[in-house]
Amino acid sequence: MIRRIGIILLLQTLVLLAMVALKQWTLSTGKEILLETQPIDPRSLFRGDYVRLGYGINRLRTPELDGDDRFDREQEIHVVLAKGENYWQAVSLHHERPSVPADRVVIRGRILNIQEGIWNGATKKQEAGRELRVDYGIENYFVPEGEGRALERPALGEKVDILVAVDRFGKAGIKGVLINGTLRYSERMF
Amino acid sequence: MSNRFIKQLKAELPFWVERGWVSPGGDRAIMEHLAGQEREEGFLIHALAILGVLLLGSGVITFFAANWSEMAKLSKLAVLLGGLWLAYGTAGLLLTRGEHPRTGQALLLLGVILFGANVMLIAQIYHIEAHYPNGVLLWAVGALLTAFLLPSQPAMAAAIALLCLWTGMESLDFDRVHLVFLPLWAICLPRIHSQNWRFAFHLALIALLLWSLFTFFSLKAPSGLYLAESYALAYLALFLGGMLMETHGPLAPFAPIVKRYAIFAVLAGFYILTFPQIQSWDRGQGYRAMASGGWVLAFFALLGLVALLSLWHRQRTLAGQRPSHLIWGQLLIATGVVFLAANLFIGGHWGGLVALGFNLLYFSGLVWLIVAGRETNDEFLINIAFFFFTLALVSRYFDTFWSLMDRSFFFMGGGMLLLAGGFLLERQRRRLTRGVRGKREGAQS
Repeated sequence: MIRRIGIILLLQTLVLLAMVALKQWTLSTGKEILLETQPIDPRSLFRGDYVRLGYGINRLRTPELDGDDRFDREQEIHVVLAKGENYWQAVSLHHERPSVPADRVVIRGRILNIQEGIWNGATKKQEAGRELRVDYGIENYFVPEGEGRALERPALGEKVDILVAVDRFGKAGIKGVLINGTLRYSERMF
Repeated sequence: MSNRFIKQLKAELPFWVERGWVSPGGDRAIMEHLAGQEREEGFLIHALAILGVLLLGSGVITFFAANWSEMAKLSKLAVLLGGLWLAYGTAGLLLTRGEHPRTGQALLLLGVILFGANVMLIAQIYHIEAHYPNGVLLWAVGALLTAFLLPSQPAMAAAIALLCLWTGMESLDFDRVHLVFLPLWAICLPRIHSQNWRFAFHLALIALLLWSLFTFFSLKAPSGLYLAESYALAYLALFLGGMLMETHGPLAPFAPIVKRYAIFAVLAGFYILTFPQIQSWDRGQGYRAMASGGWVLAFFALLGLVALLSLWHRQRTLAGQRPSHLIWGQLLIATGVVFLAANLFIGGHWGGLVALGFNLLYFSGLVWLIVAGRETNDEFLINIAFFFFTLALVSRYFDTFWSLMDRSFFFMGGGMLLLAGGFLLERQRRRLTRGVRGKREGAQS
């Protein structure tokens, strides 16, 4: 009996520690990229303060990007990112992970939905094309209680950027939150 | 009948069969009869311990959620893992000593709950995001591990409930036919059987029926009718599976449970088929078209399965073991199958007439269930027949008078119908079940 309970405890503890270790591996070995956040969608859950982050790379317009064109909902997608002036931006979309030069990064995501036709805010007209809504697993961020509002609704003139680590398998993790270019939250193992 | 007596009887039966005092089929019938009478020992203590565990688990989680920000990550991890080790460790201690087995089992359940809470809280601490049903799956696997390594019915029940939640999320939130649920569900069965966990088996069957319901919605078939027909056949196959289990000694104690859930599902399937709307119309496409080749193929494949199971059952039972009401039941099932098959080739123009036929069949089936309930002294059959009879009556009242009557008259009429009909039906049901109980008690004494 005691031996069996020991096995259960060992296996369940290993699973929990593996969750921590895998995340930490991504943060430690991944290449750092800076992403600009879109206006943040305020949410709160019983689990404490929690913010929903939106990035430019969450909405990908296939006609404007190289690579593969046809994708399905719930499919895995590999997005090649290149550094722009300040932030990293999508340059091509792929079904399989492509090999890229050292100055580029491949981030792996999942397509949540596909919208046919793109709304052009400037012309206020629907244009031909397809927009993919993609999640990368970096869209939620839990912050100490009471501090969520600062991120959800930054003060006038404040700019929130997210520092993300992308490992060699394309898995991403939030490494830090910058407010006006200064690191406010940094993720550490302990 | 006390549990001790039932246990003694179960232990003695194989010996009595060996000696020829009880016929080989007779022990099965006795076991089936006993299956409904055995009570969980110390139910109240068990229920209180489980309730205590649930309260403790939710209290611990709420406490830490409220004080989370004041703790360092390492302290959080220590608290989470410490709680897990403490719950399992104490459970192990109690179970090894054998002094408080029920409290030990309740603490095992606490361990399972804390494992799930730890998965969620670690995901929060380390900002781990994934396909969220996977978190529930991981929790279910942890519960299964506990249920398998230590025989623990509460852990198995938790695992089945979690698997059900997981498949619900995958099917409904992500709109997919979630077949992966089935092998994981099937993995639970040998353990449930070997430990004779009746409560967990009930939950497993409920989970299977819920999965079939989720799949019904996620299939998004243009004509719900052919899908409902296929479902009715599949549930019929499940019922026949239950009848076959009855003929196989080691599975016999679980057979009545399978049969009961299957009967409920078959009746629910046929109840849907009694509506003229579903017989006449395709979803937003006018009159229903005849079934396409795919539906015909699927239907006849299921029909083949039903036929195979029926023949197998026939082969395993002697003619003497098949009472006359069973033959009538078989005829009724055969008529139902013919109706279902013919309906594949009849368009929606005849929907009203077909619905009338299905109504006749449905009500004949309910009458047969009442007769079978009386013949076999099975109150469940009588109760379920009355339940579906009332359901169908109320539905027909809505169908017929909703558009014909003024709303105030409709509700007044409905209220009077429910009051008078409910009184008469309940009186009749009580009279029948009292008769069955009396016959059963007479047979026992």
